[in-house]
Amino acid sequence: MPALPLDEAGKYVAGAYLVFLTLVLIYVAIMAAKVARIQRELGELADLAEGRPDDNPPGADAGAQENARGEAEGKVLERERSSREELV
Amino acid sequence: MTPESPQSRRPSSLGALRAILAKDLRVELRTLQSVPAMALFAVTTFVLFRYGLDRESLSGGLAAGVLLATVLFAAILAVNRLFVAERDEGGFDAIRLAPVDGTALLGAKAAALVIYLLLLEAIAVPAFGLFFLDTWSGIPPLLGVLLLTDLGLAATGVLISSIAANSRARDLLVPLVLLPLLVPVMIAAAGASQELLAAGGPSYDGVAKWLAVLTFYDLTFAAVGFAVYDYLLED
Amino acid sequence: MKVPSLRDNAIAAALVLCAGFALVFFYAPLDADQGFIQKIFYLHVPLAICSLAGFVIGGIFAIAHLRTDKAIYDVRSYVAIHLSVIFGVGVLITGSIWAHASWGKWWVWDEPTLVSFLIVFLLYATYYPLRYAIEDRDRQARYASVFAITAGAFVPLNFVAVRMAQSLVHPRVFATANGGLPGSMMLTFLVCLAGMALLWIALVRFELAAKAASASLSRLRRALEGEEYAPQSGSRIAPRVPSSATSPS
Repeated sequence: MPALPLDEAGKYVAGAYLVFLTLVLIYVAIMAAKVARIQRELGELADLAEGRPDDNPPGADAGAQENARGEAEGKVLERERSSREELV
Repeated sequence: MTPESPQSRRPSSLGALRAILAKDLRVELRTLQSVPAMALFAVTTFVLFRYGLDRESLSGGLAAGVLLATVLFAAILAVNRLFVAERDEGGFDAIRLAPVDGTALLGAKAAALVIYLLLLEAIAVPAFGLFFLDTWSGIPPLLGVLLLTDLGLAATGVLISSIAANSRARDLLVPLVLLPLLVPVMIAAAGASQELLAAGGPSYDGVAKWLAVLTFYDLTFAAVGFAVYDYLLED
Repeated sequence: MKVPSLRDNAIAAALVLCAGFALVFFYAPLDADQGFIQKIFYLHVPLAICSLAGFVIGGIFAIAHLRTDKAIYDVRSYVAIHLSVIFGVGVLITGSIWAHASWGKWWVWDEPTLVSFLIVFLLYATYYPLRYAIEDRDRQARYASVFAITAGAFVPLNFVAVRMAQSLVHPRVFATANGGLPGSMMLTFLVCLAGMALLWIALVRFELAAKAASASLSRLRRALEGEEYAPQSGSRIAPRVPSSATSPS
């Protein structure tokens, strides 16, 4: 069959390469959203670990957080140690 | 499960396989769950095809397609029910505890499925011939093709049925996962059947290569099944 | 041999793929038969090869998972299959565009590789509902591995069967004029293939890294907030990276 003239064929080829680019970019966008969420949660946890009350304390009320400050740090160390032991 | 051979202290895999197979066949005979439903389904589907295609006589590729598609879907009915009893009544646990290879269960279920399909075909093929075929001369070699098809259906069907038995929505999962896996079976069986059901009488043009593909498929998935089955049985 | 970092991997992928596409448009000769449309070949076929190889790699990871019972292999298997499915979408869309440009129809049954790819894609698309339907995570991982192995064995068999079903009357749509590729086209094709493969690997490692980070995050949260924290994030079907895997593979 005769090949399409260049201007028509060009559109198809461009379309195919654009589809590829779009797929990659969509994937990157989804991953970016995931990483942003991870970053946000890390920020919250960092605040929690340092004992500084942040604007949206995750699940704990402000009063308990003050008291739990010293406890939390101790708990972190203990749990990290014990969970590491479990894995070995 | 009692060992079939009194000489061995432990039941052999083959003995266990025979025992499980006998149990399944006995249950099927008593409850008549699978085979009558499959046969009825097949005959009704033929009627649907008669009207859907608006044809009273079929030959060649069309005949092969109608027959094989019907057998395939009827097989799904049986595959769906294959492991239901084992899951509900604790059959899986029994196999795990018994000192036999899990593959005995695999072999027994596959053998049971082949038997059900052969029984189905004993009813469906004459019905098909009655409804649609002008000449029955292609049927005897067709039975050979159907046997290889049944083995392929059993090889993959048992695997997928085992996976689906322990999941939710198993009735949905079986057709969903099994049908793509069965496409090569359909291709090969239809390729052979359309020659055998040709309008002027069976031709054997290229049938051998399709039978080779079917055999290769059967062997491949039987091998895969044997290799992975113990992992499926693990709790 | 030290495994290159994810960053180097990604840079390499970008460079090689760019070089490949440059070769496609500035170096590779025009096909005598199909003209400019044939340029899609350099995109479509590497995508297809990487996707299929990815499915087989998913099956290999699944074998490793069953044999060693280490969850990390299940994660790798899942991600490999996941990305190959995404590449598969690309294969089908570019194949459809190529078909429309060549034949005027958006789908052709005459091209055996495209058809068998569709079947493989349909099969692997069931991977997700399969995982979703099994609630117990260990069992889900094991059954998913069994599926990945079965499907991996299925891929070559399917290609053979579909190709055999191809009637000799219909010419293959995507074959080049004289069957073999001339040297310049072959070079371009190989560079594109290499770039696509590097891209696949980079994306797999990217996703594995994100999953590992998520898992570490959950651990940290559990450690800080105590056992009451129930991980509400993370889908039920995506396997969790085990705590022992902290660096991206």
